[in-house]
Amino acid sequence: MPVRWSQLKARGSLRGLSPFVILSLMSLAMALLPQISSYEVVTAHIFDVMQNFGTLGLVALALGLTIIAGEFDLSVSSMYVLGGMVAVLTGAHSPVLGVLAALGVGVVVGAVQGGLVAALRMSSMPITLGGYLVLVGLTYTISHNKSVAYSNYDVGLWLDNPIAQVFSPRSLISVALFVVAALVMRYTRIGRDVRAIGGDRRASRTAGVRVDRILIGVFVVAAVASALPGALLDYSLASASPQIGLDQLTFSATAALLGGVSLSGGRGSPAGIAAGVLSLSILQELLVIIAAPMYVSSLITGGLLLAVTIAWAPGLGQWLRTFGFVKIDEDDGAELAFHGVSESVQEKQEPSA
Amino acid sequence: MPQDPRLGRLEGVVRVQTASVAAVALVVSALLAYGAVTTDGFLTLANFKAILTATSFVGIIAVGMTVIMLSGNLFSLSLGTTAAVTAMFFLYALQFGLGLAIVLTLGLGALIVGLQGIVVGAWGANPIIVTIGAGGLQEGVALWVSGGHSLLPPTGETSYLHLARPVLGIPFGIYVFFVLAVITEAVLRETRFGRETFLMGENRGAARAAALPITLITVGVFAIAGFCTATAGVLIGAATANGSLLLSGTYTYDAIAAALVGGNAVTGGRGSVVRTVIGAISIATVSDMLLLRGYSTGIQILVKGLIVVIVVVLMNLGRIWNR
Repeated sequence: MPVRWSQLKARGSLRGLSPFVILSLMSLAMALLPQISSYEVVTAHIFDVMQNFGTLGLVALALGLTIIAGEFDLSVSSMYVLGGMVAVLTGAHSPVLGVLAALGVGVVVGAVQGGLVAALRMSSMPITLGGYLVLVGLTYTISHNKSVAYSNYDVGLWLDNPIAQVFSPRSLISVALFVVAALVMRYTRIGRDVRAIGGDRRASRTAGVRVDRILIGVFVVAAVASALPGALLDYSLASASPQIGLDQLTFSATAALLGGVSLSGGRGSPAGIAAGVLSLSILQELLVIIAAPMYVSSLITGGLLLAVTIAWAPGLGQWLRTFGFVKIDEDDGAELAFHGVSESVQEKQEPSA
Repeated sequence: MPQDPRLGRLEGVVRVQTASVAAVALVVSALLAYGAVTTDGFLTLANFKAILTATSFVGIIAVGMTVIMLSGNLFSLSLGTTAAVTAMFFLYALQFGLGLAIVLTLGLGALIVGLQGIVVGAWGANPIIVTIGAGGLQEGVALWVSGGHSLLPPTGETSYLHLARPVLGIPFGIYVFFVLAVITEAVLRETRFGRETFLMGENRGAARAAALPITLITVGVFAIAGFCTATAGVLIGAATANGSLLLSGTYTYDAIAAALVGGNAVTGGRGSVVRTVIGAISIATVSDMLLLRGYSTGIQILVKGLIVVIVVVLMNLGRIWNR
């Protein structure tokens, strides 16, 4: 039976619901695993899922918020690593001071990057790529290229102390911040403005949205939200390493897209991103439970990211129609062709003159 | 002479941009000249060769990165991974003979990255995300096939060593880099495909309206990037004779940095491979100078990032002043 793919997509119902459908399927898979195989699932596994939520959830939220605002902060993973390093180096005597220092660095980094993007009215990609390199270099420099130990073990033990079997203070901090972000994005003018500048920058400027302030705010929040979990994780590990890979960025991007964030900006919600993070965390935990080799995890994460990107790609509906997979609908066709043009990346920039 | 007022404005933009580029060039030259004179061992032939050696692998990948950037597809975040994967494959394929190994490796590179071009071109998927995902897939497959072991050339095989030897005192990779840069620049300037690539980068809507084969061009652009990256892969494999994913190093970001520092527009349509060559050599020169002056790797990466930010900001200032 022909599917009206484009209509579903246009209404946004598919995008809005899919994160929660995926999360339900993942939870179901985890619940059913002991039934269909000899592997056991215990509360410790759910604790691990929540710990992962506490570690990378906020980074995904940070990246997701910048995408909703029509930008893309490539520096979130480096801010996460730098945040941990700053906290460990400055928090030897007072853990709170260390976290505050990490957040302070985040505010500065976010303000500079957001300020430049706002002032120059340019793509955030090259700026945040330069920012990424600066932050990686800074992390190596302040750590003298080595892992740094953190001697205050008590903080880490407290942060990872189980609460109600599946939570810990660290994961609850993430949950709380997700709730705050969800409320702000749902019920305040700021949330509406963030989506507005992501959906149509020019129109929102004309409509009186303070675009520059919102942009700077989003980048500051993104940097701070990346620095905090980095700091808390390194307290938990009692050490900070300057090493950085693509893993955090891959995870955050996959989680945000699974969570229904649209790469063309303007659409997505913290609740969706949370569902995306949980889905991906459950998937990774399932791979751990069945002791899958490391390459399986790489294959699945990479494949999933590709699949979800293709599924939301603006031209897919058009393509499917051209090759007769879905019913041809004249009006939708016209609308989709327009979407295909307007949603391609470079058209998101405001005209230069 | 009657003139379209917009033309005057355009000239203004061009003038200010030229002026800002000239200003950057002047400041950079002054800094480099100061550094050159005050850094011990910088103005020596040996050091000049060291700079060129450091440029070659990154530069070759950056040529491919530039083509993607000019076509309006931003950049790839996994060309470094592809370089490592193709280096591993090259060392494996050496058992079939050097010539065949090179051909197969270049084909594999063009295929891997070209496939990503289909997804980006046909369905309008975001190139950044597609290339991150494809990078994960490549890592997974490479780990799976290699069983997590490093790949070594077949015992007794020495033919590949020619690729790692200097020719006339200059690393072989440098010749490859310059030849590849010249050919790619010629393809971009002189062929229909090249001009269509620029048009697509400048304005995808117009390219679509003009019925250009968007998918085909995008696949071509990505395949060229894959070809360039696999060329680097062959040389990296030959130079290290030990293939693992660790070889990917910082090539991805360094190649993007080279293209950006050269002043190519990240949104496409404006720029050239020559700019990237200049960008790659500039970055290598600054890094070399910092190294000679005793600065750590961290500082070198930091400065690289600062240069990227400063160049990108200056490139856009001209636009702002004309608003």
